[in-house]
Amino acid sequence: MKDSFTPTEFIGVVNQTLDYAYTTVLIEGEVASFKINQGKWVFFDVKDETSSISCFMPLWELRIPIEDGMKVLLRGKPKITKLGKFSFTVDAIKPVGEGNLKKAFEMLKKKLTKEGLFDLAKKRPIPKDLTKLGVISSTGAAGYADFIKIINARWGDMKVVVAHTQVQGLDAPDQIMRALSYFNEKSEVEMIAILRGGGSADDLACFNDEKLVRAIAASKIPVITGIGHEVDESLADLAADVRASTPSNAAEMLTRDKVEEKIKVKKIIDRTEQVILQEINRAKVINREKVEKISRGVIVKYIEPMLEQCQDKMENCVDVIKNKLKELMGALEHKMRLLEILNPEKVLEKGYAILSGKISLGNVVKITTFRQEIEAEIKKIKER
Amino acid sequence: MSEKMSLNQKIEKLDAEVEWFYSDDFKLEEAVKKYKGAMQIAKEIERDLNELKNEIEVLSEDFSK
Repeated sequence: MKDSFTPTEFIGVVNQTLDYAYTTVLIEGEVASFKINQGKWVFFDVKDETSSISCFMPLWELRIPIEDGMKVLLRGKPKITKLGKFSFTVDAIKPVGEGNLKKAFEMLKKKLTKEGLFDLAKKRPIPKDLTKLGVISSTGAAGYADFIKIINARWGDMKVVVAHTQVQGLDAPDQIMRALSYFNEKSEVEMIAILRGGGSADDLACFNDEKLVRAIAASKIPVITGIGHEVDESLADLAADVRASTPSNAAEMLTRDKVEEKIKVKKIIDRTEQVILQEINRAKVINREKVEKISRGVIVKYIEPMLEQCQDKMENCVDVIKNKLKELMGALEHKMRLLEILNPEKVLEKGYAILSGKISLGNVVKITTFRQEIEAEIKKIKER
Repeated sequence: MSEKMSLNQKIEKLDAEVEWFYSDDFKLEEAVKKYKGAMQIAKEIERDLNELKNEIEVLSEDFSK
């Protein structure tokens, strides 16, 4: 080892030693004296009850709003500055604890809403008949497995290209952004799904990363998010074109259901059968009406006049028969009257008598009057 | 007839075939033939729905760098 160092040499050696000893350090503490210089550099202290560390980071690395009093998790490297001051160079920062996460979320939401990043007018629908889908998720996660299971169960005509990334932690936003760039620049997918199953607010905090949220909003390809559970809302959800409540829900929104499709096709065929049957019945009714119309025409034009003629003729016949009968009855009555006149009883009634037997002297003959029959002996015969 | 069509094209074709039954072009004499055609497409759709699978490709790219 050298006997002595220049200040520059010593700072260089210490920094080298720190680099070697602490490649990456995570520090959790409370933010104090937060300030931004020249619109480029961020300075703040992170402290606990007894100690405080000066922190530095470029503004572009600050991807979530931070303010004094907020408890944060920092990732970075320790360093001695040229002025010999100890500093912690931060490359990632995130709020810790539900209250701080919520506060940072609201601050960034307000800022991005004001910029119009979440405007509903910018939202694009899920393409009809999706055939190529990009998925950004952790392939080992349960949410991803649920998604794949459901799309396979529901539909079967899609190419799914999967980009495996972390979906929680400080590195997740950059990895997801790289996957977004990949799909936008090097693939032909028609929609990108960003998926992550349920988790704590801390687990899902990466989806409130400002750079990631901006990248989602700027994606040329429509993005759907299925992050966390129904109740979880991230800024990534607000920036996406379509928000599904869970990965499973995203699978349902992106695919049609085979079973429903089969039922739909069956209904179409059934309805078609019904149309044909209705038309056949309609044609039958029309046909029957036409036949009835023709029948009515024939009856009115031919049958009814013939019937009328027949009736007239029948009536004539009856009249003739009646007259003939009348004549016959008249003749009969005349003959009856004549017979009545010629009746022998009538002659007897008038006082005449009938003599029957052989006319000779002493012979007994029979005399019939209207009321009596008499036997008489002939005593005298003389010629008139 | 519809062997080279995608599933979605077949579904669209079925919809179009069925529309004829509700259109002014409907003729009872042609209906049975059209119905048989629609039935054929419907059977193909059902077969395709049973057979088709999604193709899933996990990219080899490393997005951690």
